[in-house]
Amino acid sequence: MADSGETIVAIASPAGAGRRGVLRLSGPAALELTRQVTQVGSALDGRPRRGVYRGRFDDGGGSQPLLLLWMNGPHSFTREDVAEFHLCGSPPLLERALRRLLELGARPALRGEFTRRAFESGRIDLTRAEGVLALIGAQNEAERRSAAALLFGGLEERVLALRAGFMELRSLCEASLDFDEYDTAHVSLTELEQRARGLVRACLEARGWEERRSAALAELRVVLVGAPNSGKSSLFNALVEEGSAIVSGSAGTTRDVLEGRWLLAGTGVLLCDTAGLAEGGRDTVAAAAQLQAAGFRAGADLCLEVLDRSAPEASLSHLDLAAPTILVWNKCDLAAAQASAPQDGGGCLAQVSLSARSGAGLLELAEIVAAALGLAPREGTCEGASACAGRLERELSARHRAALQATSEALEEGLRGAREGSTLDLFAEHLRRATDALDSISGHSTPEDLLDRVFGAFCIGK
Amino acid sequence: MSSSEPLDPAQRGDHTHPRPQAEASDLIVVGGGHAGVEAALAAARLGSQVKLLTLASGLLGEMSCNPAIGGLGKGQMVKELDALGGLMGVVADATGIQFRTLGTRKGAAVHAPRCQSDRHRYREAVVAAVAAAAGVEVIEASVIGLVIEEGSHAHLAGAERGPWVRGVRLADGSVLRASAVLLTCGTFLRAVMHTGEVQAAGGRAGEPAASGLDGDLARLGLSQGRLKTGTPPRLAAGSIAFDELDEQPGDSDPQPFSWRTPRASFPKLEQRSCHITWTNPRTHAIITENIHRAPMYAGRIQGVGPRYCPSVEDKVMRFADRDRHQLFLEPEGLDTDWIYANGVSTSLPAEVQDAFLRTIPGLSRARCLRHGYAVEYDFVRPSQLDGHLALRSVPGLFLAGQINGTSGYEEAAVQGLVAGANAALWVQDRASFVLARHQAYIGVLVDDLVLTDPSEPYRMFTSRAEYRLLLRHDTADRRLTPLGHELGLVSSEQYEAYRQREGAVLAARSLCDTQRLGGKSLTQLLRRPEVKAFELFAGIPALLALDLDPALMAVLEADIKYAGYIENQLEDVARLRRQESTLIPSGFDFAAISGLATEARERLHALRPRSLGAVARVEGIRPPDVALLAVHLARQRRTAGD
Repeated sequence: MADSGETIVAIASPAGAGRRGVLRLSGPAALELTRQVTQVGSALDGRPRRGVYRGRFDDGGGSQPLLLLWMNGPHSFTREDVAEFHLCGSPPLLERALRRLLELGARPALRGEFTRRAFESGRIDLTRAEGVLALIGAQNEAERRSAAALLFGGLEERVLALRAGFMELRSLCEASLDFDEYDTAHVSLTELEQRARGLVRACLEARGWEERRSAALAELRVVLVGAPNSGKSSLFNALVEEGSAIVSGSAGTTRDVLEGRWLLAGTGVLLCDTAGLAEGGRDTVAAAAQLQAAGFRAGADLCLEVLDRSAPEASLSHLDLAAPTILVWNKCDLAAAQASAPQDGGGCLAQVSLSARSGAGLLELAEIVAAALGLAPREGTCEGASACAGRLERELSARHRAALQATSEALEEGLRGAREGSTLDLFAEHLRRATDALDSISGHSTPEDLLDRVFGAFCIGK
Repeated sequence: MSSSEPLDPAQRGDHTHPRPQAEASDLIVVGGGHAGVEAALAAARLGSQVKLLTLASGLLGEMSCNPAIGGLGKGQMVKELDALGGLMGVVADATGIQFRTLGTRKGAAVHAPRCQSDRHRYREAVVAAVAAAAGVEVIEASVIGLVIEEGSHAHLAGAERGPWVRGVRLADGSVLRASAVLLTCGTFLRAVMHTGEVQAAGGRAGEPAASGLDGDLARLGLSQGRLKTGTPPRLAAGSIAFDELDEQPGDSDPQPFSWRTPRASFPKLEQRSCHITWTNPRTHAIITENIHRAPMYAGRIQGVGPRYCPSVEDKVMRFADRDRHQLFLEPEGLDTDWIYANGVSTSLPAEVQDAFLRTIPGLSRARCLRHGYAVEYDFVRPSQLDGHLALRSVPGLFLAGQINGTSGYEEAAVQGLVAGANAALWVQDRASFVLARHQAYIGVLVDDLVLTDPSEPYRMFTSRAEYRLLLRHDTADRRLTPLGHELGLVSSEQYEAYRQREGAVLAARSLCDTQRLGGKSLTQLLRRPEVKAFELFAGIPALLALDLDPALMAVLEADIKYAGYIENQLEDVARLRRQESTLIPSGFDFAAISGLATEARERLHALRPRSLGAVARVEGIRPPDVALLAVHLARQRRTAGD
């Protein structure tokens, strides 16, 4: 649980490749961590109230140009020591810098946590408390929604399998601790160690997998959604350089998500084509494709909802959209399309009419999308309205990786102790810490869960 | 843990209800079991006038089930109770006929003392201790109801006025008034005993159920549930072929529970062994053939029994793959023929019990002195209590022991101390006391009870404590005696003795830091798992000169070996301290918090956790929920301050 006393860090700039990326660090260890990542940290020895310093950020793998903004507590937003690291805007480099601070002991901030600290320290006034509450409420909601993204991502099942392994191991361990040796099936430390080694491997595997996924997440992601036959795949082929989606007139052809690179304002973004909406549930494959599509949307920086202008009954899907959305009226070159009037955009960022087949309107789409993602300015669009869900998923991914690392470290430490001959109660303590770390991903387990397993497995009790 | 660590605000705090009016006595305790006795004594130590009501004044401290005190998770609680001046440890030491420390190969954090007791002598010692206690009056009486009067409920959310409990009504028609009433009626509420097809009203063989009280509890609107427990057959020692069985003696170097027990004359009684035998496929066949006659399987018992103490019929049915289960034949005392057949709790018909017992090695001619039976009884869902074990909705009424859904003498006794002491503090208008989860198993138990309703009789396990490494049995005095002394629960004599021991440990600790052997300090050497203090110190004259008690040497060794872990756990405690000490006002409206998940809102509304830390421990509560409440509470405080 979040509590002050811990030092928190988060990416504070809008997602995607911008000119600058900002990491914000707040808490009692901010000074110490700043000293560890940059030599200009030594300039803070006199603890100036505020200062701007130019230097380099050592991210462990290399160094990056840095503009450091230092605010000494209580002369900061949170009334704690705060460092802002302004780095270049490359997502992978920013990610590396973030990881370095996590490795050094910072904790990924929860959404709204900086603001919460500011409020609790009396820095912001009561009227703004409402805003803080709304923000945290939104986090609650967004995290619930991101479960879909996790499910799609496959981390969920890995974490659940890991957690099952941990609960099994802990129940064996606790049964040995809580019951008399005369009383229960006794599990040898050797067997416990063997299982623990298996779990270390599983943790590393899950983390490696999450690393690869997060590398993919670092790219901006634009997702095509829409009814079957609205022409998502044709649009996909028209936009990406080497189109490879199967285009078919029969509804429900696109079962798998296709990905391609779309060059926008000099930056490559990932364009994803999902299964057509509304055909889900008919069979299990289609249902699975729907689930994938939902997951993709939850992780999207931007959705393009494709509608068929030639079909008069075509209307908004009224999805519970997790990402900002642009309406794309396709097939505007067809005869039937000319007559129908534009519809109300219903909370979308913008609307574009185009024809994927003729190419008309594609340039305008590219401009609007680039602006929405903050890649290029454009008159009349709301800049920075980008990237809510995609950013959340990146934040979650960083937290998950930190959690998995803490999990395997605690476990390895326990194994080291066991090799050196320490007792079962200490091994159990390492296991508990490892599970606590893992639980920060999947929700907490209670002693009751553990006892349920113990009683399920052993005939216990005199 | 530092002994001088000040208590958090959450731990010395406000009672839920305003001070009660003065009555003829301060506190009436209903029931003379392990909870009732500790409660009466604790309140009396704090200077209250207590009436202890029991059906049989000669049965105070009766051991209804197994003749043993302590064990894994429980032994630690006995030591905590003792560190707070409680009675159980001293009596167990004086009446024990076998002492063993369990878990010795698994690490100091799970070492737990246990003893077999002489059942009669145990009871006699309790009766004598209560008789000798100033401020406790024992009255033999049957309580048939409560004195319920209307009083102000202005401090509670809801109606302006509501019921207060101001005494008890007795079977002879008389009324006893008191500022506070504590019910410790164990398994006696609507109690039914089952042996096969035979049922009898009662909570313990030969004793009637408590009647009348259940009606008043229902009238007060308390939510109740039903639980089941069981007890095994008692056998005649003369009918058992002990020479055919494995003997289980006590420890060669028995250790007492209490530091107040004089070492020189311990153990006081002659020591006895237990014996071990096993069931076999023939036993299981008889049980399986007759399973339809077991009340649990015939559907005559609705109450839920404990999974950790299953009946033999449950063991046989649920673990059909096991072809044997263990029995411990435990002597019930020095001058008695009774043997407690631990491991075969059963409510099968008497003739089936006789038949299956005779298939067991050593028991082929065994004679049952009393057959096993199951007891079904009502309990009051403890989530209706506050951390002082007072009812949140009814001022004047406290509950402790099995009535709260727990099982075990030790669990009952510690609740008695918490409820008795807090009732006294309430009546005296002094701050209440609540032990935190990192301070004591007692704190874990009370916190668990008030935050979750048990679905089976609640028993302590060390795995329930997240700060297990801080809760070693041998640090109970360090954790609790200073607090107990400050409150007035612990005598100056006990406190001074503790200070001397602690001083000796600290002196030895600093010697370990400075004395070196082969270039390393003794502290560094002792961190290694294989290095033992008594071997190491044998070669160090400075340490030998201290003449440290072996038990204190073990404390020192564990302190050093666990130092890094203890530090980590204390960091966890410190990290959560602010959360734990952020109190939630008693009228706080969880239902009005928008943004909370519906499920979270409902749970919090029902359980009314007292601190933000308790909120975080409620099942199903997620970090954003806690964050949301934190901001709401901060906002309330600031609005109030403006």
